[in-house]
Amino acid sequence: MKCAVDIESRDVEEMYVNIDPIQAGGRLTVDAMKAAIAYGDGYSVCDNCRNPPRLDYIKNPPIAQFHADLAAWLNMDTARVVPGARRGFQAVASTYVEKGDPVIVTALAHYTEFMAIEGAGGIPLEIPKDGKNHITPDAAAEKIEAVIREFSKTPPLLFVDHVDYQFGNVHDVAAITKVAHQYDIPVLVNGAYTVGIMPVDGKALGADFVVGSGHKSMAAPAPSGVLATTNEHAERVFRTTQAKGDVTGRTFGIKEVEMMGCTLMGVTVVGMMASFPRVRERVQHWDTEVAHSQAVVDALLSIEGTKVLSDYPRQHTLTRIDTRESFDKVAQQHKKRGFFLASDMKKRGITGVIPGSTRVWKFNTFGLTEKQIRHVGESFIEIARENGLNIV
Amino acid sequence: MSKRAVDAVFQALFLLSDVRFLLRETTPGHDLDEAQKARAATTLDKVKRQVAILEEELIR
Repeated sequence: MKCAVDIESRDVEEMYVNIDPIQAGGRLTVDAMKAAIAYGDGYSVCDNCRNPPRLDYIKNPPIAQFHADLAAWLNMDTARVVPGARRGFQAVASTYVEKGDPVIVTALAHYTEFMAIEGAGGIPLEIPKDGKNHITPDAAAEKIEAVIREFSKTPPLLFVDHVDYQFGNVHDVAAITKVAHQYDIPVLVNGAYTVGIMPVDGKALGADFVVGSGHKSMAAPAPSGVLATTNEHAERVFRTTQAKGDVTGRTFGIKEVEMMGCTLMGVTVVGMMASFPRVRERVQHWDTEVAHSQAVVDALLSIEGTKVLSDYPRQHTLTRIDTRESFDKVAQQHKKRGFFLASDMKKRGITGVIPGSTRVWKFNTFGLTEKQIRHVGESFIEIARENGLNIV
Repeated sequence: MSKRAVDAVFQALFLLSDVRFLLRETTPGHDLDEAQKARAATTLDKVKRQVAILEEELIR
């Protein structure tokens, strides 16, 4: 069925259990879907924009209140909604990083952190991960020392991922920020896989900036995200424009430079707002989500030869699995080769395993019902049995 | 100007969104339990009422 000329309707979420690693936390709530219907038009949230003319001051719909609520919820002082986590990284990097500055990231950092640093003229330098795929405070200290020695200056910023996208491991961010602060390095915590799906307390993490992704973890339309900070940094990162037209003499009031004047608009911000009550509530049930994740991982581990590459027991719903000694052995003999697994899953109404993947791959169980979790686990085992693998 | 018709359109779309999410919740089998069936029936009744309002406002 087409929803417009040459555009097929998307019915993935209605037809399948979707375990795609990046899509789980961004599925809309029903409230966000209704808000999207009502606020699809471009400037829809601007009907009641008054003085001062800035989106985050709009009271109807209650965008101003939403900003205050977001900051309080993250236990930070101030927040802005931005077009995706990457734009949050960009705003901070653009403010703090000068050309040639060394900036610390980690060996598990998302590529957009690199882009943000590169865009600001900085040089990204990685804290190595340890043998268990963790970023440790000791490794952070060693890297900072090494960078200071090499560049004869202190990095202006350190990026760390609360939960990394590669393994879905939870890192000791509080200890890492403590180390960074000993060198007066502000820390940006990338919460793309945490803000909106599990409890996040920015102050407890010692974060100078918390960045979240609306479309990855806050049940919001893309592109959306949040950048929250402390009073210490707010004035700098959310500085207002000083520009003046040399011919016209025009000035632009309190428009914020890094926000390009106004924050997120239209269906993206309203979608985030509509989902927020449910998002705020759902993070309280994180233990259940982790238990669901564990159940599917255990089902996979019951297939002889399968290994989990993420932390075990699981502490997150995103998991990296190694099936080179199980499903990939089947793939070598199967007429569909590596495509058999995604194909067999799809026959059972499950999608999200990248077609062709039977070696090392990721999945995410966030937001599934108990029944769906059972179905996913049982389906993996059934497919293994049908293809002659041992269940242990 | 029919505010009543406009409200009915939104209301019907919102109710159908509830049905859409029932499909999501029960995918892939869409085997509804008794409570879900009752929810679906109530919602669809409400949709019909909104459609009736639209017929009344726009066609008759």
